[in-house]
Parts: sequence; C-alpha cells; structure tokens
Amino acid sequence: MTEVKKNSRVHGIIAEYTSVDALLKASRRIRDAGYKKTDAFTPFPVHGIDEALGIKPTVLPWIALAGGLTGTCTALAMQIWMNGFDYPYIISGKPYISLPAFMPVAFELTVLFASFGAFFGMWALNGLPRFSNPMFTDPRFDRVTDDRFFLYIDAKDDRFDSAGVQKLLGETGTEYINSVYEDDTPSSMPKFIPITLAVLMALSIIPALIVAKMRVTKSSAPRFHVFYDMDFSPAKDMQQTTTLFADGRAMRPDVVGTVARGQMSQDLDFMTGVDVEALSRLDMPRAQRLARAYSPSALQDDEPAAEKPAADEAVKEEVKPTTEEKPTTEEKPAAEEKPAASETPAESKGVEAEKKDAKEPASESTPAEPKKEEPAAEAKPAEAAPVEAKPAEKMTEAPKPVAEEKAAAEEKPADAEQASEATAVTPPVAVPAVDNTPWLKENPLAVSAETLAKGQEQFEIYCAVCHGASGSGNGLVHRRAQKILATTWNPPSSLHDEAISSEKYPDGKLFSTITNGIRKMPGYGSQIKVQDRWAIVAYVRALQQSQNASIDLVPEDQRKQIEARKKEVEKALAEQAEAEKKRAEEASKSASTK
Amino acid sequence: MSLAISNGLDNTVERPGERASLVLGGSTYSSVTEAVCRIAEQPPSRAWVIGFMISAALASWLGICIGWLFYQGVGVWGNRSPVFWGWPIVNFVFWVGIGHAGTLISAILYLFRQDWRTSINRAAEAMTIFAVVCAATFPGIHVGRAWLAFWLAPYPSLNLWMWPQFRSPLLWDVFAVSTYGTVSLLFWYMGMVPDLATFRDRSKNKWRRMAYGILSLGWTGSSRHWMRYEKAYALLAAFAAPLVLSVHTIVSFDFAVSQVPGWHTTIFPPYFVAGAIFSGFAMVLTLMIPCRSIFSLEKLITIRHLENMCKVILATGSIVGLAYGTEFFIAWYGQVPAEQFAFTNRAFGPYWWAYWTMVTCNVISPQLFWVKKFRTTPWIIVVISIFVNIGMWFERFVIVITSLSRDYLPSAWGYFEPTWVDWSMLIGSFGLFFTLFLLFCRLMPVINMAEVKATLAQEIRMSHQDDHH
Repeated sequence: MTEVKKNSRVHGIIAEYTSVDALLKASRRIRDAGYKKTDAFTPFPVHGIDEALGIKPTVLPWIALAGGLTGTCTALAMQIWMNGFDYPYIISGKPYISLPAFMPVAFELTVLFASFGAFFGMWALNGLPRFSNPMFTDPRFDRVTDDRFFLYIDAKDDRFDSAGVQKLLGETGTEYINSVYEDDTPSSMPKFIPITLAVLMALSIIPALIVAKMRVTKSSAPRFHVFYDMDFSPAKDMQQTTTLFADGRAMRPDVVGTVARGQMSQDLDFMTGVDVEALSRLDMPRAQRLARAYSPSALQDDEPAAEKPAADEAVKEEVKPTTEEKPTTEEKPAAEEKPAASETPAESKGVEAEKKDAKEPASESTPAEPKKEEPAAEAKPAEAAPVEAKPAEKMTEAPKPVAEEKAAAEEKPADAEQASEATAVTPPVAVPAVDNTPWLKENPLAVSAETLAKGQEQFEIYCAVCHGASGSGNGLVHRRAQKILATTWNPPSSLHDEAISSEKYPDGKLFSTITNGIRKMPGYGSQIKVQDRWAIVAYVRALQQSQNASIDLVPEDQRKQIEARKKEVEKALAEQAEAEKKRAEEASKSASTK
Repeated sequence: MSLAISNGLDNTVERPGERASLVLGGSTYSSVTEAVCRIAEQPPSRAWVIGFMISAALASWLGICIGWLFYQGVGVWGNRSPVFWGWPIVNFVFWVGIGHAGTLISAILYLFRQDWRTSINRAAEAMTIFAVVCAATFPGIHVGRAWLAFWLAPYPSLNLWMWPQFRSPLLWDVFAVSTYGTVSLLFWYMGMVPDLATFRDRSKNKWRRMAYGILSLGWTGSSRHWMRYEKAYALLAAFAAPLVLSVHTIVSFDFAVSQVPGWHTTIFPPYFVAGAIFSGFAMVLTLMIPCRSIFSLEKLITIRHLENMCKVILATGSIVGLAYGTEFFIAWYGQVPAEQFAFTNRAFGPYWWAYWTMVTCNVISPQLFWVKKFRTTPWIIVVISIFVNIGMWFERFVIVITSLSRDYLPSAWGYFEPTWVDWSMLIGSFGLFFTLFLLFCRLMPVINMAEVKATLAQEIRMSHQDDHH
C-alpha cells in the first residue's frame, strides 16, 4: 500500500498542515486562485471549510425525507391492508381501519426508513465504501485521522499544472507537499477471501434447501419436528377410545373419594325431597338406588352400571367386552322409568321402552287417534274420562290432570339427576300402584323473607311462563296455546287446586316435581339450584295461601295499605267498566243512527 | 499546540463570560488519539481479563439457562397464575430503560449543542446497544415457543395464514424496540467510522489493518464526506430524539393500555421515559467511572462531565419521585376502589419491601446530588448510581408483580416466587451486558476522538480570540 510507483499517472497533489487556521487560509488561497477540483482531508469536521473550498450543500435531507414518507406510507398501507382487508380482526369493537391504533407503528417505520435514508444515502453520496484509494499510498496520509490536515488539488482540474500547484501550495506555509499517484497495486482481494466467502455462502444455503425440500416433499412419512409443539397432542373427544389410558377411556372419571365442585350432597333428603330413612325401612333396594344415584361415587368403576353416565358406558362397550354382561340399555333413561322393583331390567324391556319412545312423537302429532295406553292420552283435556289402566288410587281422586301428575311423579326421584331432563319428557311406561313414598312434609329450607324473595324470583323466571305469575295456570305460554288452539297442549295445573295443597301434595313431592318434571312439564333439576327449588316450593305455598287467606292474617299495619290498594284497584276496574260501557253505548248509538 | 486551560484542572467552577474547558491537561489532537487508541492497542490489563472472564462465564450461564428453558418450557420460571409476566418482563423493561441514556446523550444533547456529550456519547451509545440486546432477549424467550418468535413479524406465513394484530401495544413494542435497536446501531456505527479509520491508520499489523479498514469503509476524512456525514449525523439525531421518547412510551403502553389496576394510568408514558433516562444515566456513570480510572481517561471524561450527568440524575430522579406521588394522588382522587387497593397494596401489602426499596433508592438517594461534594466525588457517584439501578429494577418489579398478583379475581391472588432460573437469567443478563461492553472497550474507540478534537479545536480558537482581544 505504501509502495509508490513513480511511473504511474499523477492523481493529484497534497499539502500537509498542522493547524485548522493554516488549512483554512490555504484553502481560501487556492479557491481564489481558481481551482475547482479541490478537497481537504481532516481528522474532524472543520467549520468554515465548506465556504473556504466552495463545497455545495448536500441533497441528503431530501433522501431522508423520501425515506421517511416511504416509511409512513408503507406502515399505513401494510396495517390497513393486513388488518382491515386481508385478515380483518375485530378487536375491542374498533373499526377495521382504526388509524389511532396504527400510529405507533407508522411512527416507528417513518423513523426507521428516514434513518435508513440518511445513513445509506450518506454513504452512497460519499461513494463509500471504497477500500482502494490513491490517497492511502502516501504514508504521511495516515496521520489525517490523527492530527494532520491535508489540502488536495486533483490532477483533473482544468488549471492543474504540477509545478504551478506545487509553487502555490508552497506559499501557504505547508511543511510537506507530495504528488499522489494512481494506485496500481492489484485491487483484487487475496484469493482465499472470496473462496472462503463462497464456501460459507454455499453452506448457508443448505439448511434453507433442506427446509424447502421438506416443504414440497410428497413423502408419506411424518413431518420432521425439531420441536413437537402441540402437533401430537393426544386430545380426544369424549365417547372415543384412546390408547393413552389403560382403561381405554378418553375422559377420566372422577378421582375416587373426591367430589367435584358443586356436586357435594350433604343431605340426601334435601337433594331428593324424600325422607330416605323412612324409605329404606319401606323399600330398601329403592332407597339404595336413590342414594347411589345422588352419591358422587356413582361414577366409579365399582358401581353397578345402572348409574353410570352414557359416555362411560359407550366406551366400555367398545373397549371392554367383559362388561357386556351388565345391561347396556341403562344408558337410555327411559329404562329407569320402570317400577322400582326391576333394578336391572331385561334388555328386551329396555328395547320395548325405546320403541315406545320412538312411537310417542307420532302419536302426539295425531292426537285424534285415542291411544289409551299411550301417554298421548294424558294430553287430552281434563274432562276426558279417566283411563282404565290408571291405578285404583287415581280413580278415587278427582279425574284431573293433577291426579295423573301425582302418579307420574312418583318414581322419578329415584332417577339420577343426570337423567332427569330425559325422564321428564319421557312419559312413564307403566304406572305403579300406590304412591307410598315418604315425601318430606316440610320444606327443609328455613322460610324467611329472603327465601321467599329468591323463590319468587326463580318462580317468575322458570314457572310463571306456564303457571302464571299468580300460579293460577294461565301463563303466557298457556294463553298462547289457547289462542292458537294447540291441540297437543296439556294445560298447566293451577297451583291453587286442592290437589296441590300442602296436605295432599307434600313439599317434598312438589320439590321432586320441579326437579324431575311431570307430563309435559320438563324437569328443572339441571337448571335451578337445589336451594332455589326449595325456595320455589316455599313461594308456591305462599302463593297458595295468598289466594285463600283472609284479611285477618295480614299484619295490622299493612292492612290499610292493602285496603287502600284494593280500593284503588276496584276504582280503576269500575272506571274501566264504565268506559267500556260508554264505548259500547256509543257504538250501539252510532250503529242505530246509521 | 498546547492549550492554556484558563481555570486549571477544576472545570466544575462556573466563571461568568468564560466557557469551561471540556478537555483538560494540555491535550493536543495527537494526545487525544493516543489516549483513546492506547486502550485498544495495549495488551489487556489484568483487571480487564478478570472482569471479562467473570462476565463471559455469567453470559454463558445465561445461554445454558436459555437452553434449559427451551428444553423444559416456561415452567422453569416462577411465572405462575396470576403473575404470568414475571421477571423476564421486569428484566426487559429494566434493560430497555437502561438503553435510553445512550441515544438521549447522543441525540438530544447533540441537538441542544451540549458539547460535554462528546467524550461520553460513544460509550453511552455502545451501552445502549448492549442493553437493547439484553432487553430483546427477554421477550424473545418469554413468548413460550421461542423458536417461533419470528411470528411477531408481519410476513406472509404459510403456516398461519394470518397477520399480526396491529392494534396491540405488544406488537407496537416489537416495532419500537427493533426500530430503536436498529437506529441506535446505525447511529453508533456511523459515529464510529472516522475513529475506526484512526484505528486503521495506526495499525501496524496487516490483519488488524484489514479488519479496521473494512469496518471504516475507506474513510479518508474528505471535507465533502465530512459535510454529508455531519448532515447525516444531525438528521439521525433529529430522528432518534423523538424515537427515544417513543420507545419507552410504547413500552409503557404494554401496561397502560391494559386494565389491570396499577397499570391503567395515563401517567405511565412520561413517567417511564423519565425513569428510563434516570436509570440509563446511572448505568453510564456506573460504567464510565471505573473505565475512566482503569484506562486513565480523566482528562477527557472530566469531573464536569460527571457532574452534569449527576444533575440529570437529580432532575429525572425528582420527576420519578413526583410520578410516584402523583400515582397515589390519582388513585385517591379517582375514587376507583380497585385502583386505591392496588396502590395501598403496593406500599403496604406483601411486597412492601420492594416498594420501599424502590422509594429509598430512586427518590431519596439521588437527592444527595444536591450537594456538590457528592456530585464531584467519583466513588460516591458510583455508589449512588448503583443504588439508582437497584431502585429502577425494583420499580419494574413493583409495577409488574404487585399489580398482577392482586388483580380483579381475589380467588386467584398469589405471591410471586422467583426460581433459580429467574435469578440466573437476571445475573446472566448482566454478564452478557458486561461481556459485550468489555469487548467494546478493547476493540472499538471508547471515546469519540473526532468530536473531542473538534471540541478541542473550538477551544483553541476561543483562546486565540481571547489572546487577540
């Protein structure tokens, strides 16, 4: 680099100075002498040199501006297109094109691109990088980055003349003048550098090629995974078999000896509305079944299949043929409708029940056809004669739907709660003889104003649509059914009927009816919490009282209010009647005048 | 060439009508070159070797921990419900904050023509870049499947068939931090090119000359080049100044745009920016004071420089203290029970120790800088700066951990426990930072020679003018 070949062309002449002032003075001198292709080389930016050498301002700010604008536009276009058109996201109700949210990225990219413009623009305008420069051939030029200042006149300048220039520079107080020759040393890199680079580049392509190859391969072999991520997650739907667990089930049953949240049944009486102790004296197997149905361990393996949910059963069938011996029809809740005695009903009966289930909708759609044994018969209005097949007890009772309701509700509490929804819509296949169930006579929930308020709330949500807000059986659904003359409609009971009074229809039974449903009424066990069902029972009792109570039961201080309200209502009714009358008269008058 | 220093070696005394000297002790252009280049040309000192070995070991340990994290999954951290943003995010915000001083010194002080920046800006910019490297590591590994971190970028993906969600502060953060890292790198490198050319021209070794020759891009110091270079530098400074303010603002959006009590406040952007400058200056001082004495740079990094930085720390520390107070005031004044609880819980809840550590270090300790004696005694400055850094780490800890551990769902409340991996990564990130910084000290010009020489030239001219009058 430092070897100078004297026979080369002259590139220019440099003069060395030791201070800024000397450099500036010399620069003005050569500018005034008319030299155009000049330059100064300094270790730091010297102020005033631009003017002294006549250097024009740069266009760099415009490049930066262009970069910045490009950044803004790129960012906005990118965000609007990506989030507004190509893949619209709805995020917190913002419009697809929500400019305020796009501003931060727009700002950042503006700065980024403007900076690129300034940075790369500067190097491009300066013609850098340029590793081979004739200036570097002068060993003294190394001090230009340390503490020396050089003035340079290019050989291409129109006025360039070696001797003249040397003379001019000599007069400027320089200590060193030298001609710079074109650098004729081979400018090519040492061979090993390009070779190494080429090898490295070739090697760096290999991973990319492997990835590309893998992406287009038609091989049926599994994909190559560096990280498994969740691609091989052994997740299964329920009712599928899996090899993941030894028992083949995809869903895990509850852990033995644990109770899921909200499934804890502290009090079986409270859950069922039945005095279980009394029932166990009366009918032990039935009490046991009842207890099992409500106990959390009902889902365990060691329990009889009867109480298992359908999902478990299905898996068992698939995986463990040994469990076949157990009746599989229990998964149909209809089977449970059968009398208590048959704990494991025969398969044929189950199938029969199923068939009847299937027939039922058809019979409903053709209500004209009297089917005595079928539940559709019950759908007939109350004035129909009692069905022969009904048990004797029923015959003694008034032939009203309420009586049937009683009979139908009998066995239902024995069912598991899971099955209650299904049982409610499925009419009983056979009706037991006598309702000897020891129902709870009293509401186990402490009756308070709060309880009643809760009961009222729940009643008005779930019950009032059919039974009406006052419980008289004329809810909106019922009225609508009457209006459209729905033929299959089974009118809801009036809760003020004698048959539902607390003496004839114990609280426990009412609770059970709410839980499991009756006739057309679905069970609400899955929708209403246990406490709330009891609260509804309490509220229904209060409703019943309200309709048949005398004013003497009302506390002294509230009587006036009620009387005042009564007067108001009566007055309003009278006014209404009067208005009606008037209208009728007017109507008749206008009719007669016509 | 020697320069008369009118007010002796103590350049912290203000004399009316006189500009305090920023380059001391009869420095000349060549003595500046010599002082800076010597650091890289001498064989490494024992202190450097020991420091480098320790920090390289810690950095390797960070690498091992990251490998362990990849192998095991994010469960190796203490991040548990409800604190899913644990130390990784605390460390991220801490390091990004540290990374603010460099560009602030380079850009904003440049725009305000604060000449005292010249001898510290290079190291501060380098520190910025290394801090951003540390900062970028944490969200990168915090995404869970770090090998898919490139999903953050808006690229046409054949796996996802979707684009990033541009209305999320977390994505703004990606753009802000990466832009900041890039622009800081450009700014730092561009500022270094003339000095790298000095290294090149002083190199005796052929390979060294070639390496520095490539890095300095063939710089000759031509006046035309200088003219465009200065223009580009001014432009970059002008772009970087709002950028530096935007970055921590956007980092604060990560918190402020959410609805977690204690995060959802409008004071976050200014408060975060002030905190970032505060911690960044403290880190610059923590690094520069030992460097200054190890590499004998007292004449270039003078007491006046240190004192100025202490004043910035005092100012930003007071802003931070005011912000803490304002947060409490707004919590009370806003009458939102959740907010009130969040702030009461911060100061008097289970993390009271972190809160009061933060207040002691951040609000009380910088107030010592009101005393000139403390501002001008290097070892006291270092001690206070370290306290400030501890306090700023705890500030992020308090913000992230206390707010998350007591969110809207009391049944999910918990107490954050860091694991050994959390500790290792925090310490390892310091190892990475110091490794990079020590390498920088050995290989690159730690002080911007060209700018110091320009300042020197200005002082020479001033003294000549004084002579004439």
